[in-house]
Amino acid sequence: MNQFEHLKEEDCGEQDEMKEINDSDGGSVNNNNNNIKRKMVTPAPGEHPLQYNYTFWYSRRTPSRPANTQSYEQNIRQMGTVASVEQFWKFYSHLVRPGDLTGHSDFHLFKEGIKPMWEDEANKNGGKWIIRLRKGLASRFWENIILAMLGEQFMVGEEICGVVVSIRFQEDILSIWNKTAHDQVTTSRIRDTLRRVLNLPPNTIMEYKTHNDSLKDNSSFRNTKITL
Amino acid sequence: MSMSSQKTTSQAIPTTRRVIINDAAHMPHDYSTTPGGTLFSTTPGGTRIIYDRKFLLDCRSSPLARTPPCCLPDIPGVTSPPSVTIKNDKAHPKKTVNNNSISPLADKSAGEDAQFEMDI
Repeated sequence: MNQFEHLKEEDCGEQDEMKEINDSDGGSVNNNNNNIKRKMVTPAPGEHPLQYNYTFWYSRRTPSRPANTQSYEQNIRQMGTVASVEQFWKFYSHLVRPGDLTGHSDFHLFKEGIKPMWEDEANKNGGKWIIRLRKGLASRFWENIILAMLGEQFMVGEEICGVVVSIRFQEDILSIWNKTAHDQVTTSRIRDTLRRVLNLPPNTIMEYKTHNDSLKDNSSFRNTKITL
Repeated sequence: MSMSSQKTTSQAIPTTRRVIINDAAHMPHDYSTTPGGTLFSTTPGGTRIIYDRKFLLDCRSSPLARTPPCCLPDIPGVTSPPSVTIKNDKAHPKKTVNNNSISPLADKSAGEDAQFEMDI
Protein backbone atom coordinates (compact mmCIF):
# COMPACT_ATOMS: atom_id res chain seq x y z
CA MET A 1 0.00 0.00 0.00
CA ASN A 2 1.59 3.30 -1.01
CA GLN A 3 1.60 6.27 1.29
CA PHE A 4 -1.36 7.93 -0.31
CA GLU A 5 -3.52 4.85 0.00
CA HIS A 6 -2.56 4.50 3.61
CA LEU A 7 -3.47 8.08 4.30
CA LYS A 8 -6.82 7.69 2.63
CA GLU A 9 -7.62 4.61 4.64
CA GLU A 10 -6.57 6.29 7.83
CA ASP A 11 -8.82 9.20 7.08
CA CYS A 12 -12.03 7.46 6.53
CA GLY A 13 -11.36 3.77 6.40
CA GLU A 14 -13.66 3.58 3.47
CA GLN A 15 -13.03 3.05 -0.15
CA ASP A 16 -13.81 5.65 -2.69
CA GLU A 17 -16.60 4.06 -4.64
CA MET A 18 -18.77 7.09 -5.08
CA LYS A 19 -17.07 8.59 -8.10
CA GLU A 20 -20.05 8.45 -10.41
CA ILE A 21 -22.95 9.56 -8.35
CA ASN A 22 -26.01 10.43 -10.34
CA ASP A 23 -28.17 12.50 -8.08
CA SER A 24 -31.46 12.19 -9.85
CA ASP A 25 -33.99 9.84 -8.45
CA GLY A 26 -33.59 6.33 -9.59
CA GLY A 27 -30.25 6.91 -11.22
CA SER A 28 -29.40 5.76 -14.67
CA VAL A 29 -28.55 2.21 -15.38
CA ASN A 30 -24.93 1.96 -14.35
CA ASN A 31 -24.50 5.00 -12.19
CA ASN A 32 -25.93 3.79 -8.97
CA ASN A 33 -22.78 2.05 -7.85
CA ASN A 34 -24.33 -1.38 -7.61
CA ASN A 35 -21.79 -3.09 -9.80
CA ILE A 36 -18.59 -1.22 -9.09
CA LYS A 37 -15.78 -3.44 -7.91
CA ARG A 38 -14.87 -2.77 -4.35
CA LYS A 39 -11.71 -2.18 -2.49
CA MET A 40 -11.47 -3.53 1.03
CA VAL A 41 -13.25 -1.50 3.67
CA THR A 42 -11.52 -1.98 6.98
CA PRO A 43 -11.64 -0.47 10.44
CA ALA A 44 -9.18 2.34 10.96
CA PRO A 45 -6.69 2.05 13.80
CA GLY A 46 -8.36 2.45 17.17
CA GLU A 47 -11.85 1.71 15.87
CA HIS A 48 -14.04 -1.13 17.05
CA PRO A 49 -14.48 -3.68 14.26
CA LEU A 50 -17.84 -5.15 13.38
CA GLN A 51 -18.28 -8.88 12.92
CA TYR A 52 -19.24 -8.13 9.31
CA ASN A 53 -19.02 -5.16 7.01
CA TYR A 54 -22.37 -3.59 6.21
CA THR A 55 -23.58 -1.49 3.31
CA PHE A 56 -26.22 1.23 3.47
CA TRP A 57 -28.69 1.36 0.60
CA TYR A 58 -31.52 3.72 -0.25
CA SER A 59 -34.46 3.25 -2.58
CA ARG A 60 -37.49 5.23 -3.54
CA ARG A 61 -40.22 4.83 -6.09
CA THR A 62 -43.51 6.31 -7.22
CA PRO A 63 -46.16 4.07 -5.72
CA SER A 64 -48.24 4.00 -8.87
CA ARG A 65 -45.41 2.70 -11.00
CA PRO A 66 -45.42 -1.11 -10.86
CA ALA A 67 -42.07 -2.53 -9.83
CA ASN A 68 -40.27 -5.24 -11.69
CA THR A 69 -36.86 -6.69 -10.96
CA GLN A 70 -35.06 -4.48 -13.40
CA SER A 71 -36.63 -1.24 -12.29
CA TYR A 72 -36.14 -2.21 -8.65
CA GLU A 73 -32.46 -2.79 -9.22
CA GLN A 74 -32.16 0.61 -10.85
CA ASN A 75 -34.06 2.39 -8.13
CA ILE A 76 -31.90 1.12 -5.34
CA ARG A 77 -28.50 2.58 -4.69
CA GLN A 78 -25.61 2.01 -2.36
CA MET A 79 -24.60 4.82 -0.08
CA GLY A 80 -21.54 3.40 1.61
CA THR A 81 -19.99 0.51 3.45
CA VAL A 82 -18.82 0.43 7.06
CA ALA A 83 -16.46 -1.92 8.85
CA SER A 84 -16.41 -0.50 12.37
CA VAL A 85 -18.72 0.95 14.98
CA GLU A 86 -17.26 4.40 14.48
CA GLN A 87 -17.64 4.27 10.71
CA PHE A 88 -21.22 3.22 11.21
CA TRP A 89 -21.96 6.23 13.40
CA LYS A 90 -20.25 8.56 10.95
CA PHE A 91 -22.57 7.40 8.23
CA TYR A 92 -25.67 7.03 10.30
CA SER A 93 -25.34 10.52 11.77
CA HIS A 94 -25.41 11.99 8.30
CA LEU A 95 -28.52 10.24 7.12
CA VAL A 96 -31.91 11.67 7.82
CA ARG A 97 -33.95 9.61 10.22
CA PRO A 98 -36.41 7.31 8.47
CA GLY A 99 -39.32 9.14 10.07
CA ASP A 100 -38.23 12.20 8.10
CA LEU A 101 -38.12 10.51 4.73
CA THR A 102 -40.81 11.51 2.28
CA GLY A 103 -42.68 9.44 -0.21
CA HIS A 104 -42.36 5.73 -0.75
CA SER A 105 -38.79 5.26 0.52
CA ASP A 106 -36.64 2.57 2.09
CA PHE A 107 -33.38 2.38 3.94
CA HIS A 108 -31.57 -0.95 3.81
CA LEU A 109 -28.57 -2.08 5.84
CA PHE A 110 -27.19 -5.33 4.50
CA LYS A 111 -24.03 -7.34 4.92
CA GLU A 112 -21.45 -6.35 2.39
CA GLY A 113 -21.85 -8.35 -0.80
CA ILE A 114 -25.55 -9.09 -0.33
CA LYS A 115 -27.91 -7.00 -2.41
CA PRO A 116 -31.25 -6.19 -0.79
CA MET A 117 -33.05 -8.09 -3.53
CA TRP A 118 -34.96 -11.35 -3.49
CA GLU A 119 -32.90 -12.67 -6.35
CA ASP A 120 -29.52 -12.27 -4.71
CA GLU A 121 -27.75 -15.56 -4.09
CA ALA A 122 -27.95 -15.07 -0.35
CA ASN A 123 -31.64 -14.31 -0.42
CA LYS A 124 -33.17 -16.71 -2.89
CA ASN A 125 -33.94 -19.36 -0.25
CA GLY A 126 -34.65 -16.83 2.42
CA GLY A 127 -37.42 -14.78 3.87
CA LYS A 128 -38.10 -12.00 6.27
CA TRP A 129 -39.89 -11.08 9.42
CA ILE A 130 -41.88 -7.88 9.17
CA ILE A 131 -43.30 -5.64 11.83
CA ARG A 132 -45.77 -2.93 10.98
CA LEU A 133 -45.37 0.32 12.81
CA ARG A 134 -47.78 3.16 13.14
CA LYS A 135 -46.39 6.51 12.12
CA GLY A 136 -43.95 8.07 14.52
CA LEU A 137 -42.09 4.94 15.55
CA ALA A 138 -39.90 4.17 12.56
CA SER A 139 -36.84 6.17 13.58
CA ARG A 140 -36.54 4.68 17.03
CA PHE A 141 -37.21 1.10 15.92
CA TRP A 142 -34.84 1.37 12.98
CA GLU A 143 -32.04 2.48 15.26
CA ASN A 144 -32.69 -0.33 17.71
CA ILE A 145 -32.86 -3.05 15.09
CA ILE A 146 -29.67 -1.82 13.45
CA LEU A 147 -27.81 -1.78 16.74
CA ALA A 148 -28.99 -5.29 17.49
CA MET A 149 -27.84 -6.55 14.12
CA LEU A 150 -24.45 -4.79 14.21
CA GLY A 151 -23.91 -5.97 17.76
CA GLU A 152 -24.58 -9.61 16.81
CA GLN A 153 -27.50 -9.97 19.18
CA PHE A 154 -29.44 -12.40 16.99
CA MET A 155 -27.13 -15.36 17.51
CA VAL A 156 -28.06 -17.18 14.34
CA GLY A 157 -24.63 -17.72 12.84
CA GLU A 158 -24.46 -16.45 9.29
CA GLU A 159 -28.19 -16.33 8.74
CA ILE A 160 -28.92 -12.61 8.97
CA CYS A 161 -28.71 -10.81 5.63
CA GLY A 162 -29.89 -7.35 6.53
CA VAL A 163 -32.64 -5.08 7.72
CA VAL A 164 -34.97 -2.69 5.95
CA VAL A 165 -37.16 0.17 7.06
CA SER A 166 -39.91 0.99 4.61
CA ILE A 167 -41.71 4.30 4.80
CA ARG A 168 -45.19 4.07 3.38
CA PHE A 169 -48.35 6.15 3.32
CA GLN A 170 -50.09 5.25 6.55
CA GLU A 171 -47.70 2.88 8.23
CA ASP A 172 -44.04 2.04 8.27
CA ILE A 173 -42.57 -1.44 8.10
CA LEU A 174 -39.47 -2.94 9.62
CA SER A 175 -38.06 -6.08 7.97
CA ILE A 176 -35.22 -8.41 8.80
CA TRP A 177 -34.03 -10.81 6.13
CA ASN A 178 -32.44 -14.20 6.76
CA LYS A 179 -30.95 -16.76 4.40
CA THR A 180 -32.96 -19.90 5.07
CA ALA A 181 -36.70 -19.44 5.24
CA HIS A 182 -37.53 -23.01 6.22
CA ASP A 183 -35.08 -23.11 9.11
CA GLN A 184 -37.51 -22.72 11.94
CA VAL A 185 -34.90 -22.74 14.66
CA THR A 186 -33.34 -19.68 13.07
CA THR A 187 -36.57 -17.88 12.32
CA SER A 188 -37.88 -18.52 15.84
CA ARG A 189 -34.72 -17.20 17.39
CA ILE A 190 -34.82 -14.11 15.21
CA ARG A 191 -38.44 -13.52 16.18
CA ASP A 192 -37.68 -13.86 19.85
CA THR A 193 -34.66 -11.59 19.63
CA LEU A 194 -36.77 -8.99 17.88
CA ARG A 195 -39.25 -9.07 20.72
CA ARG A 196 -36.47 -8.51 23.19
CA VAL A 197 -34.39 -5.86 21.43
CA LEU A 198 -37.36 -3.87 20.18
CA ASN A 199 -39.32 -4.23 23.39
CA LEU A 200 -42.39 -5.37 21.53
CA PRO A 201 -45.65 -5.64 23.47
CA PRO A 202 -46.56 -9.32 23.94
CA ASN A 203 -49.48 -9.27 21.52
CA THR A 204 -47.50 -7.72 18.66
CA ILE A 205 -48.26 -9.35 15.36
CA MET A 206 -45.21 -10.54 13.53
CA GLU A 207 -45.37 -11.72 9.97
CA TYR A 208 -42.99 -13.91 8.01
CA LYS A 209 -42.81 -14.07 4.26
CA THR A 210 -40.48 -16.10 2.10
CA HIS A 211 -38.84 -14.24 -0.74
CA ASN A 212 -40.15 -16.90 -3.10
CA ASP A 213 -43.65 -15.90 -2.17
CA SER A 214 -42.76 -12.27 -2.68
CA LEU A 215 -41.42 -13.12 -6.11
CA LYS A 216 -44.61 -14.98 -6.93
CA ASP A 217 -47.02 -12.24 -5.99
CA ASN A 218 -44.58 -9.43 -6.77
CA SER A 219 -45.26 -7.87 -3.42
CA SER A 220 -43.14 -7.32 -0.31
CA PHE A 221 -45.76 -7.05 2.36
CA ARG A 222 -48.95 -8.75 1.24
CA ASN A 223 -49.95 -12.35 1.94
CA THR A 224 -47.61 -12.91 4.83
CA LYS A 225 -47.79 -15.65 7.41
CA ILE A 226 -49.03 -14.17 10.62
CA THR A 227 -47.59 -15.05 14.00
CA LEU A 228 -48.93 -13.76 17.26
CA MET B 1 -29.48 -6.06 27.24
CA SER B 2 -28.16 -9.44 28.26
CA MET B 3 -24.60 -10.34 27.63
CA SER B 4 -23.02 -13.58 26.63
CA SER B 5 -20.14 -15.04 28.54
CA GLN B 6 -17.48 -12.57 29.55
CA LYS B 7 -14.61 -14.91 28.82
CA THR B 8 -12.12 -13.14 26.63
CA THR B 9 -8.77 -13.94 25.20
CA SER B 10 -6.02 -11.85 26.70
CA GLN B 11 -5.00 -8.79 24.75
CA ALA B 12 -2.50 -6.06 25.39
CA ILE B 13 -4.92 -3.20 24.85
CA PRO B 14 -8.48 -4.40 24.63
CA THR B 15 -10.05 -2.32 21.91
CA THR B 16 -12.69 -4.92 21.28
CA ARG B 17 -14.58 -7.24 23.50
CA ARG B 18 -14.46 -10.72 22.15
CA VAL B 19 -16.78 -13.29 23.52
CA ILE B 20 -15.94 -16.95 23.23
CA ILE B 21 -18.97 -19.14 23.07
CA ASN B 22 -18.21 -22.79 23.11
CA ASP B 23 -20.88 -23.90 25.50
CA ALA B 24 -24.61 -23.63 25.06
CA ALA B 25 -24.96 -22.76 28.72
CA HIS B 26 -23.32 -19.43 27.97
CA MET B 27 -26.05 -18.36 25.62
CA PRO B 28 -28.46 -15.75 26.92
CA HIS B 29 -31.38 -17.21 28.76
CA ASP B 30 -34.12 -14.78 28.05
CA TYR B 31 -35.16 -16.03 24.68
CA SER B 32 -35.93 -19.50 23.55
CA THR B 33 -33.11 -21.85 22.72
CA THR B 34 -33.32 -25.29 21.20
CA PRO B 35 -33.34 -28.08 23.79
CA GLY B 36 -29.99 -29.78 24.09
CA GLY B 37 -27.99 -26.80 22.94
CA THR B 38 -27.74 -24.40 20.11
CA LEU B 39 -26.75 -25.09 16.54
CA PHE B 40 -24.89 -21.84 16.39
CA SER B 41 -22.31 -21.98 19.10
CA THR B 42 -18.94 -21.29 17.62
CA THR B 43 -16.23 -23.92 17.51
CA PRO B 44 -13.99 -24.08 20.57
CA GLY B 45 -11.58 -21.18 20.45
CA GLY B 46 -13.76 -19.31 17.97
CA THR B 47 -14.91 -15.81 18.72
CA ARG B 48 -17.72 -13.56 17.61
CA ILE B 49 -17.68 -9.82 18.03
CA ILE B 50 -20.66 -8.86 20.12
CA TYR B 51 -21.60 -5.37 21.30
CA ASP B 52 -24.56 -4.47 23.40
CA ARG B 53 -26.73 -1.48 22.63
CA LYS B 54 -25.34 0.69 25.38
CA PHE B 55 -21.77 0.14 24.23
CA LEU B 56 -22.63 1.05 20.66
CA LEU B 57 -24.41 4.20 21.76
CA ASP B 58 -21.46 5.18 23.92
CA CYS B 59 -19.15 4.88 20.91
CA ARG B 60 -21.20 7.52 19.16
CA SER B 61 -19.65 10.27 21.24
CA SER B 62 -16.07 9.24 20.57
CA PRO B 63 -14.04 11.63 18.40
CA LEU B 64 -13.45 8.83 15.90
CA ALA B 65 -17.15 8.67 15.21
CA ARG B 66 -17.65 12.36 14.75
CA THR B 67 -15.49 13.17 11.78
CA PRO B 68 -17.72 13.24 8.72
CA PRO B 69 -17.63 10.29 6.34
CA CYS B 70 -15.56 11.10 3.32
CA CYS B 71 -17.60 9.29 0.76
CA LEU B 72 -21.25 9.99 1.47
CA PRO B 73 -23.27 10.57 -1.69
CA ASP B 74 -25.38 13.67 -1.82
CA ILE B 75 -29.02 12.68 -1.96
CA PRO B 76 -31.29 15.58 -1.08
CA GLY B 77 -33.73 14.66 1.64
CA VAL B 78 -31.70 11.61 2.58
CA THR B 79 -28.12 12.48 3.24
CA SER B 80 -26.77 15.67 4.67
CA PRO B 81 -23.44 17.13 3.62
CA PRO B 82 -20.64 16.55 6.16
CA SER B 83 -20.56 20.18 7.26
CA VAL B 84 -24.02 20.06 8.77
CA THR B 85 -24.21 18.73 12.29
CA ILE B 86 -27.17 16.55 13.02
CA LYS B 87 -28.71 16.78 16.45
CA ASN B 88 -27.59 13.68 18.27
CA ASP B 89 -30.57 11.82 19.47
CA LYS B 90 -29.18 9.02 21.53
CA ALA B 91 -31.73 7.23 23.58
CA HIS B 92 -34.58 9.65 23.94
CA PRO B 93 -36.60 9.34 20.79
CA LYS B 94 -39.63 10.94 22.38
CA LYS B 95 -37.99 14.32 22.14
CA THR B 96 -37.70 14.06 18.40
CA VAL B 97 -40.32 15.74 16.30
CA ASN B 98 -41.46 13.67 13.43
CA ASN B 99 -41.27 16.17 10.61
CA ASN B 100 -43.25 14.04 8.27
CA SER B 101 -46.51 15.88 8.19
CA ILE B 102 -48.07 13.68 5.55
CA SER B 103 -49.59 11.18 7.91
CA PRO B 104 -53.17 12.12 8.78
CA LEU B 105 -53.35 9.55 11.52
CA ALA B 106 -50.89 11.43 13.70
CA ASP B 107 -51.24 8.91 16.44
CA LYS B 108 -48.03 9.90 18.07
CA SER B 109 -46.74 8.41 21.26
CA ALA B 110 -47.29 10.53 24.33
CA GLY B 111 -45.00 13.47 24.65
CA GLU B 112 -43.45 13.22 21.24
CA ASP B 113 -45.04 16.38 19.91
CA ALA B 114 -46.67 17.79 23.01
CA GLN B 115 -44.37 20.75 23.30
CA PHE B 116 -45.09 21.86 19.75
CA GLU B 117 -48.83 22.01 19.82
CA MET B 118 -50.31 25.38 19.11
CA ASP B 119 -53.47 26.77 20.56
CA ILE B 120 -55.68 28.12 17.83
